[in-house]
Amino acid sequence: MSIIQRNNVTLNGTGGTAMVFAHGFGCDRNMWRFIEPHFRNDFRTVLFDHVGAGRSDLSAYDPEKYSSLDGYAADVVEIGQELGIEKAVFVGHSVSAMIGALASIRAPGMFDKLVMIGPSPRYIDDGEYSGGFSAAQIEELLTSLDDNHMGWSAAMAPAIMGNPDRPELGEELTNSFCRTDPEIAKQFARVTFMSDNRADLSKVEAQTLILQCSNDIIAAEHVGEYVHNAIPGSQIRYLQASGHCPNLSAPEEVTLAMRDFV
Amino acid sequence: MSDGKLIEDLEDLFENAPCGYLSMWPDGRIAKVNATLCDWLGRPRETILGKRLRDLLNVAGSIFYETHFAPMLRMQGFFHEVALDMVRADGSVMPVLANAAERRDTSGELLFTRLTLFKATERRQYERDLVEARAAERDARRQLEDMVMSLQAGMAEQVAIVMEEKHNSELKEQFVAVLGHDLRNPLAAIDAGVGKILRDQQWTDRTPVILNLMKNSVSRMSALIDNVLDLARSRLGGGILLNRDEARSLQSTLEMVIAEIQAANPDRTISTRFQIARTVSVDHDRIAQLFSNLLGNAVTHGAPDKDIAVDCTVDGEGNLSLSVANAGDPIPQEMVPLLFQPFHRGQVRSNAHGLGLGLYIASEIAQAHGGRIDVESDQNEIRFILRLPAQ
Repeated sequence: MSIIQRNNVTLNGTGGTAMVFAHGFGCDRNMWRFIEPHFRNDFRTVLFDHVGAGRSDLSAYDPEKYSSLDGYAADVVEIGQELGIEKAVFVGHSVSAMIGALASIRAPGMFDKLVMIGPSPRYIDDGEYSGGFSAAQIEELLTSLDDNHMGWSAAMAPAIMGNPDRPELGEELTNSFCRTDPEIAKQFARVTFMSDNRADLSKVEAQTLILQCSNDIIAAEHVGEYVHNAIPGSQIRYLQASGHCPNLSAPEEVTLAMRDFV
Repeated sequence: MSDGKLIEDLEDLFENAPCGYLSMWPDGRIAKVNATLCDWLGRPRETILGKRLRDLLNVAGSIFYETHFAPMLRMQGFFHEVALDMVRADGSVMPVLANAAERRDTSGELLFTRLTLFKATERRQYERDLVEARAAERDARRQLEDMVMSLQAGMAEQVAIVMEEKHNSELKEQFVAVLGHDLRNPLAAIDAGVGKILRDQQWTDRTPVILNLMKNSVSRMSALIDNVLDLARSRLGGGILLNRDEARSLQSTLEMVIAEIQAANPDRTISTRFQIARTVSVDHDRIAQLFSNLLGNAVTHGAPDKDIAVDCTVDGEGNLSLSVANAGDPIPQEMVPLLFQPFHRGQVRSNAHGLGLGLYIASEIAQAHGGRIDVESDQNEIRFILRLPAQ
């Protein structure tokens, strides 16, 4: 299984510089469908699924490797090396903003620019730092995932009920986007919501743009500002869009903000 | 009213429908909610309007909604049968199933997102039971697989025992047949010779011929009995015992065998090549027995007009390789493993000189020395190779 197959990587566009799009927890690369096509004229666009999401190779899921965001960052670097990517733009949504930061630190020269959409270096409050959630609340989320009923009949059902030999059957179910293997989703949730990458932010050398939504319970304004203050020379742009997924709810606004930056 | 022509009141249907209705502005704030849902949640309408859906969910549910269902809704314009936990005014949880659809105008601009909510307490319980049943079923299946595995292992063991018993009983039958047939033949020849001499009652010209035939029969019987004893030792006893002797010359041992075979077959040419770097610790009598068998087979089965080649090498470390090659029809590959089975006799053999124990015993001798005999066979020649590792 090649890296390209493992991460379901596809290339588009005609530009000289690569632009890598990384989806966050809960979705797959489909979430870039309203954004990525706008950059094909000027960039070589790279879409991929994290291992465990979308059409990635589930058999490549190694609980040990993916027990921290480093494992996901290592995959990004491998994809970059495989494609010979240099001085590229990395666009990461949610937890993938941090994965991109880690990848840029790991492979200097691979990414010159980072676009972070709804980033959070730590979701759980810690002393002075307010991540937006108490440890108990995150524990409740993880427990409910362990309980395996949350969304049982929706996003996770195709993976549970689906016939692995015939993935096309899953397609026919109504909620066909953002399928996630429930076991992997559980682990990814744990890795995401227990992560603490505050100390890594100062090591980021890539030019960074933070896109901050309004009313985002996952990554609140002050969390985006924390990231902005911690990454040297970064910019922050406040979006009208509310919620955690402006790339879906307000693609024009996100595209415009990205264009101004790149 | 009395004539039954009551027209359904759509406003009333919305408010008091047997399901919850909720509409959200594009920014996610709640624009409209029906009485049924307010009632279920125990929340006055005015405390719901202007809030966001996540304010009515528990924390886990709202994270899940933001990360999974909101993106799905945006991408496909709807979602169906999403399980959510809503929180009532008193803090208790009300499991619901939600369908959602986006309402957009003709230009594609989002106007509202509409949700229909059904109470799903019992269904949720059922789903939980199902998940638990799945886990129980998985455990049960694992147990079953373990049982099947151990059962299969047990059966394989039983089958092996039965096969071994069957094999032994086949061996016994062959043993009886061999004793009955192969020993009876020379015995009958001796009996006939003795009868003839007794009838003649005097020494005649034929007498030495008859006695020589009888002596051959005795030798044959003696050889057969040796073989059967070797079989019994290797099968029933602790294997063939070796009497290793490093002082003796291996080349002399081999040359003695060659001389015997050559004397009995003066018209055959046996070429030899010895490269013996050092003495080896082997049972010389057993090696002679083994070599005699291989060479005897080469004479019996090889093309009569072609040479037999003997090649013996002992390297500096003491690894021994002894090969006997003859021209002849190649041995079919599937026959090769059978060659070393007891009582096997080549199908091409027309006159049964032995019990079919020769190669079996040769191979037992090789194994007793920690080595083995291999067969290489192609269109040109058949080669039996004994390889013994250094002691």
